[in-house]
Amino acid sequence: MLSRVADSLYWINRYVERAENLSRFVEVSEAMALDCPPGSAEPWQPLIDASGDRELFDQLYPGGGPDQVVEFLVKAEANPSSIVNCIALARENARQIRDVITTEMWEQINDLYWTLLESDSFWHQPPQEQLREIRRGCQLFYGITDATLSRDLSWQFSRLGRLIERADKTTRILDVKYFLLLPSPEEVGGVLDELQWISLLRTAGAYQMFRQSQQGVITPRAVAAFLLLDPSFPRSVRYCLDRIHETLQVVAASPVPGNPDALECLSGLTRARWSYTGIDELIAGGLHEAIDALQQDLNNLHELIHARYFVLPSLAAAEEPAAVPPAQASVSVTATSHDLACAPA
Amino acid sequence: MFTDYRPSKGYDEYFSASEEPRSALQPLLSSLGALGLEQLNRNHAAAGMLLKRLGATFRLNDSGKRGGERILPFDPLPRLIGASDWDLLQRGLIQRLEAIDLFLADVYGDQAILRDGVIPREDVETSQGWRPQLRGFRPPLGKWCQISGLDLIRDGLGTWRVLEDNLRCPSGVAYFLENRRVMKRMFPSLFSGRTVQPIDSYPSQLLQTLRDLAPWTEAPRVVLLTPGVFNSAYFEHSYLAQQMGISLVEGRDLACQDGRVWMRTTQGLEPVDVIYRRIDDDFLDPAVFRADSMLGVRGLMEVYAQGRVAIANAPGTGVADDKLIYAYVPEMVRYYLGEEPIIENVPTYLCSRPDDQAYVLAHLNELVVKAVSEAGGYGMLIGPHASQAEILEFAEKIKADPRNFIAQPTLELSTVPSLSEGELYPCHVDLRPYVLRGKDAWVTPGGLTRVALKRGSLVVNSSQGGGCKDTWIVEESAC
Repeated sequence: MLSRVADSLYWINRYVERAENLSRFVEVSEAMALDCPPGSAEPWQPLIDASGDRELFDQLYPGGGPDQVVEFLVKAEANPSSIVNCIALARENARQIRDVITTEMWEQINDLYWTLLESDSFWHQPPQEQLREIRRGCQLFYGITDATLSRDLSWQFSRLGRLIERADKTTRILDVKYFLLLPSPEEVGGVLDELQWISLLRTAGAYQMFRQSQQGVITPRAVAAFLLLDPSFPRSVRYCLDRIHETLQVVAASPVPGNPDALECLSGLTRARWSYTGIDELIAGGLHEAIDALQQDLNNLHELIHARYFVLPSLAAAEEPAAVPPAQASVSVTATSHDLACAPA
Repeated sequence: MFTDYRPSKGYDEYFSASEEPRSALQPLLSSLGALGLEQLNRNHAAAGMLLKRLGATFRLNDSGKRGGERILPFDPLPRLIGASDWDLLQRGLIQRLEAIDLFLADVYGDQAILRDGVIPREDVETSQGWRPQLRGFRPPLGKWCQISGLDLIRDGLGTWRVLEDNLRCPSGVAYFLENRRVMKRMFPSLFSGRTVQPIDSYPSQLLQTLRDLAPWTEAPRVVLLTPGVFNSAYFEHSYLAQQMGISLVEGRDLACQDGRVWMRTTQGLEPVDVIYRRIDDDFLDPAVFRADSMLGVRGLMEVYAQGRVAIANAPGTGVADDKLIYAYVPEMVRYYLGEEPIIENVPTYLCSRPDDQAYVLAHLNELVVKAVSEAGGYGMLIGPHASQAEILEFAEKIKADPRNFIAQPTLELSTVPSLSEGELYPCHVDLRPYVLRGKDAWVTPGGLTRVALKRGSLVVNSSQGGGCKDTWIVEESAC
């Protein structure tokens, strides 16, 4: 597979996953806002923090309220991670590799794009309906991918993008909301506003599966344990890390590396770190610090995958005119834990 | 439905001069009548949406801005050509390309046609498509033009003529294929009661043509080389690559090393045998052609010259689709094949000939003048529609650079009823059939009918407000 194509597949899936997560964030918040006193900042401000775009938001909408938050996250052209921009970028990447993805995949992402861009009737729906439709549009894209794409490298790179983005998003939701709901660390396991915790689980798309997994009361400890360490819930950190590790092994075609390279080491170590631990140990050691370190690891994983598979082999590079733009020149993935990685299309 | 329709003064392909429907059109006209104008307009709008959702779009500019794309306007009234007429045209197209290919082999080889004075050496060597770097080169199978798209028109009497030879990277075939798909989906009833020759085999034929070019391997690896996503024909590039199941590559995905061309993949380098290139000669290889090209592959021409990669079409074919060289194609047919051309040219005056130039300058208000170096309907003067100032301006241009201009009579291109502003209007059309030449020659059944949707306009180019129609080859004679 062409390195450039692998890069695009990876990013299509990161962007779709990002858009899907964002739409769920906003959708849940729209519902929750109706339970809050009018004008209350909650639950909107944490959304900005969870998306890691606080600085840009304050710059674009100084003192912005709920409407601005929604505008910023859903439509704002100036926000590279707004839902509409994510879909546009996913679609642009898909357009570049239409020959590789299936026609149905292309039609789905292209359809969603034009719906967001040109359909008046779409934006005249109530907000939660809009967001539901976007979320389902993204999920339909995954479903079509699962049902039509061969399980070759294109599938593996797609999955890799999806999993890394998902692990990142789950940790962000937990990080922001968890500490917001627990004003001081001493209160861990203390007062519980069940409604808030339910909303956190819904935001992570985890409510039902959480309920099924344990028939007790909802405790912060149980929520954190579920989102971080559950081995079978597909949005948990552990699940994502397990699958990332497997996928990388398939791509590298070396299940038992004799001399693991940096990518293999990091993937294996991160996976082990989140598999062989317990929630009490994590809380005792500082949950926020652990999550921060994980986000850093995810960014490093991305960097290593990028360097190993997406950067074009530098054959004959010396002969080429300096003006040749590197592939996706501004794949400016920064390694800072709060910047959202973002690729151009 | 056609009660308010007035055919044009020239040749209308649906109705005779006495406004009687042509016999082969009867079944279609009754299907159209059953559909009704209102429903036709409704489905027409839906067809536009469908094309957009299929992604059959081109970029208006290269800003990459959200939404800066549009479809090639699609007209739902098909254009019909009788199978027997088509047989003759097919033979004419194959004959013409055979002569052109012999001409290319000759001018890049012995240059007999220049020595014999059939074509002035100067006219060849001053052509923008002339690539002296190719002198002495022999492409795979000895063929130069594997994929061509010739523009045909019918004049006021309905006679088919060749208007242009597109021998470099003719575009539009994806629209030709997608239009049929849209017609079948949106207007199934129009197909009732007759058989239209299917066109779906084009991608297979194209792949076979490309595979034929690499006799050195059983399993040639074929790629399509595109300038990238900002090119206006990008949709077509990705569409064709997808239909053939080959890799769509950009110059930066390829590299030359150890006398071969390679693709850079996640699993290392993989060899390439055949390149269907959709970039111009000039940009193919910065080491040989334009040094500032960022679209091509350094060292490609060297590998090509050693016969270790095939490129379709061969570099250098542009000299034969020069609008001036076009005028000599009938001579080529006679010279190389000893036959009379089956399809005639449009009469053409060469401004580089003093007699022709004098005639052209005296009749600018009747003629169409074309700059040989321009394409896409630009650099053109349509005498009868031009202002006095424009005519004077062109006269100066012609005197300053006669080699760069040819002139042709203003043809009353044939018309086909089309939806214009919601009503049926006789719009001018041309036809671009595609000809594939690997080991065998193959012509698409029909081709892309381009239509000037602007009322009264003679320019069918998409860059000038043109659209397209589905073209049907049908059993009975449509004339």
